[in-house]
Amino acid sequence: MSETNDQVQGQSADAPSARVAAEARPASVHPEGHRPAGERPAGERPAARKPAAPPDPRVEAAKETAARIGAVIAQALGEAAVEETGAAHRTPMVRVRKQDWLAAVSLLKDHPDWRLNYVECMAGTDYPEYIEIALYVQSTSQGHFVCLKTRTDRQDAEVPSLVPCHPGVNWEEREIYDLLGVRFTGHPDLRRIMLWEGFAGHPLRKDYSEWGEGST
Amino acid sequence: MEQTGVRLTPAMEATVREEEMLLNVGPQHPSTHGVLRLLVKLSGETILDCDPVIGYLHRGTEKLAEDLQYTQIIPYTDRLDYLAAMLNNYAFCHTVEEALGLEIPERAEYLRVIVMELNRIASHLLFIGTYLLDLGAMSPFLYVFQERERIVQMFNKICGARLTYNYMRIGGVKWDAPPGWLEEVAAFVPFMRERIKMYDELITNNEIFLHRVRGVGVYDTETALAYGLSGINLRCTGYEWDLRRKKPYSIYDRFDFDIPVGKNGDCFDRYYLHLLEMEQSLRIVEQALQQIPASGPVLGKVPKVIRVPAGEYYSAIEGARGELGFYIVSDGKDKPYRMKIRKPSFVNLQILPRLLKGQPIANLIAILGAVDIVLGEVDA
Repeated sequence: MSETNDQVQGQSADAPSARVAAEARPASVHPEGHRPAGERPAGERPAARKPAAPPDPRVEAAKETAARIGAVIAQALGEAAVEETGAAHRTPMVRVRKQDWLAAVSLLKDHPDWRLNYVECMAGTDYPEYIEIALYVQSTSQGHFVCLKTRTDRQDAEVPSLVPCHPGVNWEEREIYDLLGVRFTGHPDLRRIMLWEGFAGHPLRKDYSEWGEGST
Repeated sequence: MEQTGVRLTPAMEATVREEEMLLNVGPQHPSTHGVLRLLVKLSGETILDCDPVIGYLHRGTEKLAEDLQYTQIIPYTDRLDYLAAMLNNYAFCHTVEEALGLEIPERAEYLRVIVMELNRIASHLLFIGTYLLDLGAMSPFLYVFQERERIVQMFNKICGARLTYNYMRIGGVKWDAPPGWLEEVAAFVPFMRERIKMYDELITNNEIFLHRVRGVGVYDTETALAYGLSGINLRCTGYEWDLRRKKPYSIYDRFDFDIPVGKNGDCFDRYYLHLLEMEQSLRIVEQALQQIPASGPVLGKVPKVIRVPAGEYYSAIEGARGELGFYIVSDGKDKPYRMKIRKPSFVNLQILPRLLKGQPIANLIAILGAVDIVLGEVDA
């Protein structure tokens, strides 16, 4: 497996480490018994076996594009608005401060060089210390495919809604609110969408328990 | 009341009132293609507002996937858009393969393309059948099941299932084509061509049908893009956007095919594009049958336990209903840390309230049917 795995570069810096993620899950749902006898856990692999592969040019290009997008946002909204630039696999990735989320996405939608006007996918992920919203958005006229992100605390999770800018994320945001418990401020119709009103907890949170204990 | 020329006495006038009515469509209604509930606010016969209520089929696939190994997730994808399970299989496997950087054997790639395009045809056929059924024409529904049956039989021969195929694996496909299978597909292509012609003659110029769909549920490209619509729902506005061309995946760059687009963005265009796309899928199948290597492995070298390198991955394909994508966050283990499905039906359905506002109630089913949703996918 190491041969195939090591070919892939450009792992995102903010992927959770195996240890932290394991802690966040209830021990009961994560048995370690499934591992074949010959396999080593990922963390114990000796470093010497990793060949120093050259950087993937596609990932380098993505990072370079991300830096340019970051510069556009920083110029308009201040240096503090851009928290991180990098690559999500081979897609340029820019992480924006929560307060500037709507402003940054609107800016890139209307910016003549980028015109990120067509949302592909919006996903929320519960990490041990924060919840991250990833927005895959593309430009139909310029051909860009970009991943924009923002983070919010797990407690009192709140992110500005993108509906004023992209009406198509209305239901995606409702789904994230429903399953991850992120409130989208300024959303015109923030209700649960998959589960019923009165359902306790948000199932996609890692500490959710179907018995009601520990659910947020 | 003055308009109609009816004169009311003051006493009568006091009793006449206009009020809004709430009409509940579904969740158990044959025209909702599953269990969708629409809360429709009416004034007379005019729709003032519509609130789709979904989630009746919510199984929490994304949550389930967090406790499943990558290979174990594949059968769960069958149950999303159950009319185009091959495409779901592929969309998931493709994302994992991209993450691992796997090489797919040639023969497997061709088999995948053949089954995906056949599945697209089967799915489009069912759309035409059910759409006409929604509009009150019973027989097309019975007709389309004949061709669909042939496709389903072929799928049964190659993977042993008629609906939930679980045919693809990470790195290839599970089974090679049995002897005579490719010839059977080759024989199906001209047969299907004839049938498409027949449908074109029977339905496309049918006066009653045209009255129901032409100029109904119109929107433009700007609106479609703003609402994130994809697939035929976007192309019907005349905008050429097909991920098989825009972000070529698999071996689609080897085939010669057109991307049909509509003109008016109405329900008729959405119906007609389904018909035209079936023809293009047949072209792809035909070329794939000519190019497929006569033999060779159908499953690449894949580790027994698949561990995706830590990171996040998103890739999408052109599904039967639009952009079908999988977003996977991995922490290097054999199970995804998070899996999100970009469901085309779910996103496309959002435009429904906007399309229905101000329409007569009779157009509700015509507009809903043309959005082409599968509730298994909407609710995931």
